[in-house]
Amino acid sequence: MRKKLISMLLATTMAGALMVGCGSNASTDAPATDASATDTATEAPAADSSAEAVTLKWSIWDQETTTYWQALADGYMAQNPNVTIEMVDLGSQDYMTVLATELSGSGSDFDVVTIKDVPGYATLVQKNAIQSLDSYISADGVDLAAYNGATDQVTVDGSLYELPFRNDFWVLFYNKDVFDKAGVAYPTNDMTWEEYDKLARSVTDTTFGSQVYGGHYHTWRSTIGLIGCLDGEHNILSGNYDFMKPYYEMVLAEEKDGVVRSYADLKTEGLHYSAAFSAGDTAMLNMGSWFISTLINNIASGEYDASLCGNWGIVKYPHADGVEAGSTLGTFTGLAVTSSTDVPDAAWDFVKWCSGEEGAAVMASTGNFPAIMTDDVVTTITSLEGFPTDDASKEALKTSNIYLEVPYDANVSEINTVLDTYHGMIMQGECTIDEGIASMNEEIGAILAQ
Amino acid sequence: MEKITAANVESFQNELTSLIEKIHTESNPKQKMKYLKRIDKIQRSISAYRSKSKLSRETKRDLIAYSFIAPNFIGFCVFTLIPIVFAFALAFLSWDGSNPIEWAGLKNFKSLFKDKFFIAALKNTIIYCVGTVPLTMIVSLGLAILLNHKVLGRGLFRTLAFFPYVASLVAITSVWKMLFHPSKGPINNLLFNVFNVQQENLPQWFTGSLVLLSMIMFSVWKYMGYYMVIYLAGLQGVNGELYEAAALDGAGTWAKFKYVTWPQLSSTTFFVIVMLTINCFKVYDIAIMLAAGGNGELTLNSTVLVYYIYQKAFIEWKLGYSSAVAMVLFVLVLGVTLIQFWGQKKYQEG
Amino acid sequence: MKSKSANTIALKTLVYIILLIMAALMIIPFLWMLSASIKTDAEVFRMNPFVWIPKNPRWSNYSEIWTKIPFGRFVGNTVFLTIIVTCLQLLTSSFAAYAFAKLEFKHKNILFMGYLSTIAMPWQVYMVPQFIMMRKMGLNDKLLAIICLQAFSAFGVFMMKQFYEGIPSSLCEAARIDGMSEYKIYTNIMIPLSKPALSTLTIFTFVNTWNDYLGPLIYLKSQEKKTIQLGLKMFIGQYSSDYGLIMAGSVLSLIPVIIVFLILQKYFVEGVASTGIKG
Repeated sequence: MRKKLISMLLATTMAGALMVGCGSNASTDAPATDASATDTATEAPAADSSAEAVTLKWSIWDQETTTYWQALADGYMAQNPNVTIEMVDLGSQDYMTVLATELSGSGSDFDVVTIKDVPGYATLVQKNAIQSLDSYISADGVDLAAYNGATDQVTVDGSLYELPFRNDFWVLFYNKDVFDKAGVAYPTNDMTWEEYDKLARSVTDTTFGSQVYGGHYHTWRSTIGLIGCLDGEHNILSGNYDFMKPYYEMVLAEEKDGVVRSYADLKTEGLHYSAAFSAGDTAMLNMGSWFISTLINNIASGEYDASLCGNWGIVKYPHADGVEAGSTLGTFTGLAVTSSTDVPDAAWDFVKWCSGEEGAAVMASTGNFPAIMTDDVVTTITSLEGFPTDDASKEALKTSNIYLEVPYDANVSEINTVLDTYHGMIMQGECTIDEGIASMNEEIGAILAQ
Repeated sequence: MEKITAANVESFQNELTSLIEKIHTESNPKQKMKYLKRIDKIQRSISAYRSKSKLSRETKRDLIAYSFIAPNFIGFCVFTLIPIVFAFALAFLSWDGSNPIEWAGLKNFKSLFKDKFFIAALKNTIIYCVGTVPLTMIVSLGLAILLNHKVLGRGLFRTLAFFPYVASLVAITSVWKMLFHPSKGPINNLLFNVFNVQQENLPQWFTGSLVLLSMIMFSVWKYMGYYMVIYLAGLQGVNGELYEAAALDGAGTWAKFKYVTWPQLSSTTFFVIVMLTINCFKVYDIAIMLAAGGNGELTLNSTVLVYYIYQKAFIEWKLGYSSAVAMVLFVLVLGVTLIQFWGQKKYQEG
Repeated sequence: MKSKSANTIALKTLVYIILLIMAALMIIPFLWMLSASIKTDAEVFRMNPFVWIPKNPRWSNYSEIWTKIPFGRFVGNTVFLTIIVTCLQLLTSSFAAYAFAKLEFKHKNILFMGYLSTIAMPWQVYMVPQFIMMRKMGLNDKLLAIICLQAFSAFGVFMMKQFYEGIPSSLCEAARIDGMSEYKIYTNIMIPLSKPALSTLTIFTFVNTWNDYLGPLIYLKSQEKKTIQLGLKMFIGQYSSDYGLIMAGSVLSLIPVIIVFLILQKYFVEGVASTGIKG
């Protein structure tokens, strides 16, 4: 009884506050005419060029430095003259946090949102901020098989809430000049992590003042902790993280011997991996394929000194013993339709276009990897001006197994927080590898047991 | 009853005085009675008029006062008071900001004390406060006392001391991180080259057990100028004659401080401690900018309460839980303030 | 006698030494910032030999920053916000404080307690519900949100009230007998007297708004609305190893606050003393 009373009281307080909100809503949301215009547009088929004008508000990040946003928007608008795509740049740093805040509750005016990572996707799904696309997918006959199983890993209770349009996988970047100078053979498309470790050590030069680092791990957890997932048996939702141990050991030993920059240094400087690689003193860098277009563009524009890093190449991600070469980690970027949109059909049409073959062609032309990988796409990217000309680099783009960095789970953001914390502690020597992994097992076990 | 207005009140008053005079001289009891009745009537009318006009004057006065307060109070009410009420309510609820609100009762608070991250955040915040508050107070008081003497360049020094306070955290922490860079920074360079500290023993200022120390050092550096000015202002209020009297009694520098300066500064010290404590418990930006790792994470050695509130609210969307952490923060601040308040009262009385 | 003066001299010397060391501690990071802002990346950490001013100063750092990020836009937003917030804060706080200090009215104590009780309440305690409410009002990702957030602080009212209480009430009484309205008394008598307090409040508000990080982080999302602090943080993330550029940006972000402080600082200690925020 008392409980009920208190809840009622609370409800009244909140209602009061909401009314304050509504009162001022009328004045702040001035372009009310806009909403009615888009409302009518819903009824007309979006692709019809005689349809009324529709404006789609689309959330993106780093518009200035990322080439494909504008290209996709332009490509779609050229085919659909009645649609205007309005991009809102939320910045990449806290993109998913910002987006989730934006979409909480009602009142957001986004129609299409870009989904950067799975934890953020999980949050949005749980908040009912984005719509299930199932009915659209079956109505329009979209073939999910084209996405190579990526969509299976983000299916929530049988429903899909996003469609991938960009797909990246991890490769090993290397600086040929550094290897030439040290007189060491280039890395190959079929290396185990042990061979990689040996190679990194052999090109390292610890002479003060002219250091050369054999490798470089960016401060993300994914650069180290996820290596163990490459065998396809382990993943980060398992609740047992013992599989990460050998890789932490490898990296910490490399740090100790000066083969790679120390985590503490990197964290203090906030050193960006691109800065590390473009400085010309880093032999190898494990990074996602998105770095390919960054390298091509920035070397062409003179942002990076071509004499330091212009002679680069890529090979397939190293693999564990007994695992097929070409097994790598993948991560995709998806598009979703918000629950609050007034024009779901038009929004879906745009999502479908970007994720489909036309969008894929646009993506490839900007040097990025679309979600639908075809031989054409590979040819387009490898023939881009500035892409390494050796055969190994071209071959490196052919993958055998791609394991998603983070598959969907209801608790994925909480799990991420725990893993990040202990990753930081292990890397900074605040606890031993064993202690860190034991804590991960314990804490995440508790989360999963809930 | 006659209608009395502001215009005719004077004429009634005159009539009243003349009636009272008349009553004294009148001998006819009947006539006297008549006068008395008239007096009574006028008096009642006047007092009615007075109370009425007083009432309206009061209302007018209140309205004027409210008109002064309103612009600030309305904003304050909407943007501060209501959210505070909300915050109290949220701590007993379970909400993700979108789905229906659920009642949680004390569940949020119960799970707090089993939460390793919360306990680490609480512990670090308290250590940070215990380190920062006394240190800042001592340094700023010391500087204020030195500057209160006639020294050359006093104004310049006062200005310099304020620079760290006005400088933005983002800018100044990046300088700080360069200066204390574990392998390239000038501080460690000095330790290595001049003090011959072995390379592997060079302090890692922003990790492990040193990170809280770095945060404390930074915070003392940044805020001492501010509190120094407050102490300087306090020192201006210290009665100079007391020093002379103390000097006559043969008191040394320390005795003067102990028996004259310190007691006279007690209310300033109270203010300084309360402000410092509040600000220390709120620490967030300093921790994030000095200690965050590659995924923006703070480890168990560097996490603080506000970071945890932010994390729970804006990353994991456990608004109820995050509000419960906020309540703990509030109770801590309130507790320390009350203890201070009580202590100061005791001190002044005894 | 002689030993006493020797003692005094020794003491004076000690005082100067301590002050010199402290002054050095306070200013070195700023000198480093200035020095690094005209160096190349390689020169920044060069210790052997260490120079404050490099042979070929890279002034281009100061021009480059405007093109690498929309720095001008960030500065514009911040200037706009800071000026509006400071004006509103000064106006509404001194207005309300006048009523609390010099007028008698119903519920005065209760209202004032309402203010006072929130001073000890860290903003972080209620930032989440506040955000939810503001978003409901359609203030998310609007500069107006930051104005609402910063402009009506209890601290301003409290500080100004303490100051006004130090002004003799007889001044107001005399004016009232002369038939001046309360508004006239406020504008003609109180405001001219409150320069020190207003300067102090200006410095506090200006510094706080200019340097605020968490508030804009939560409320301002789109790139064109960001403030200089967010911009600087973003810039550091993207150009982590361009120390010279980062330092140039930092120097630029400091200039306005330092100018405001230098202009108003002569009133400052007086302001702190007379507003009684010393306790």
